[in-house]
Amino acid sequence: MAALSVATTAQARKKIAPVVVPADLQTILSEVRRPGAAAVLLNVWATWCDPCVEEMPSLMAIYKRNRDLGLRVVLVSADPRTQSKKVSAFLAKHGFDGPSFLKIGDDQDFINGLDKTWSGTMPVSLLFDGQGRRVKTWSGLIDQALVQTEVDALILKAKTP
Amino acid sequence: MLNGLCTKMRFMMISAAMLVAVAPPAIAGPVALGTKLPGADLALKNAADGKAMTLAKATGTKGTLVVFTCNDCPFANAWEDRIVELGNGYAKQGIGVVFVNANNPGGNKGEGLAATAKRAKSRHMQFPYALDESSNVARAFGAERTPEAFLFDKDQKLVYSGTIDDNSDEPKKVTKQYLKDALQAVVNGKAPPVAETKSLGCGIKFKKAS
Repeated sequence: MAALSVATTAQARKKIAPVVVPADLQTILSEVRRPGAAAVLLNVWATWCDPCVEEMPSLMAIYKRNRDLGLRVVLVSADPRTQSKKVSAFLAKHGFDGPSFLKIGDDQDFINGLDKTWSGTMPVSLLFDGQGRRVKTWSGLIDQALVQTEVDALILKAKTP
Repeated sequence: MLNGLCTKMRFMMISAAMLVAVAPPAIAGPVALGTKLPGADLALKNAADGKAMTLAKATGTKGTLVVFTCNDCPFANAWEDRIVELGNGYAKQGIGVVFVNANNPGGNKGEGLAATAKRAKSRHMQFPYALDESSNVARAFGAERTPEAFLFDKDQKLVYSGTIDDNSDEPKKVTKQYLKDALQAVVNGKAPPVAETKSLGCGIKFKKAS
């Protein structure tokens, strides 16, 4: 019965193409700070960004391993608004069904609002704790094992009374 | 092509031994304001004629603009008309202008000598669009993405680094023309009103240091 339930959930997840919402920095940060997660991993990427595409399988592996343990993954695409269908199709192909945004608004406000030390080069991944406090920033391709270690620590911390 | 990509993080992982002989050391982010024109004597190739050139030979009497760009990046493409217009315009006002393509083409036919030469011609660039085939000039600048602009004053000291303006997608909605304002200030012998900016951009596909 349990196995059937897991399979059904997996099938349902596979069919859902994520809705990609145009959003400014404040909207994106609201999603990061929304209660209910032990940790939040935010990734800024684009379909035309080769290293972003290259790291997506690693990112999805982290997402799928931890989504039921308290990790919320938030994806922010820098693709033009006209490309939202392409973004959605790409994420569906990778099995992502979490919150997904198309970044709008001023680049500098966006970059500095996430992390002042980030140059703007993509991809970038930022890890927040359950209270929305940024704890790590990885600019460039992520090291899946390293990210998992940090995620584990935040999930454990959230469970600790 | 993907295997040829090299991000800033990857540079930090390259052993010091690999960097000793030829490549300048990797720099975390763009060189600091006030830095004298870096990599001035490093080898570039002018795509238009395939001949060797250096930034030292391309400086202007009032200043020098170096823009790291490429042919295949959507951000570079979105800004291209505006950057070329600025380059053509200020080249006539004493600014030495050089566009630099530091991407390792790998198997990408959209980059490399032939594509870059074609681009320079089709976009009517009245200044060199040069290949940085080793990516060492980009390393010397601490350049990370395309497009990324570096403006030097008449003494070849860096006075502006960063983006072009505040709206890549919609030129009509631009409210802050960072690079144009900086260029005009340099032509007038003044300091740019804004010296450093950021933008999203494509990471330079660095050729591995050798």
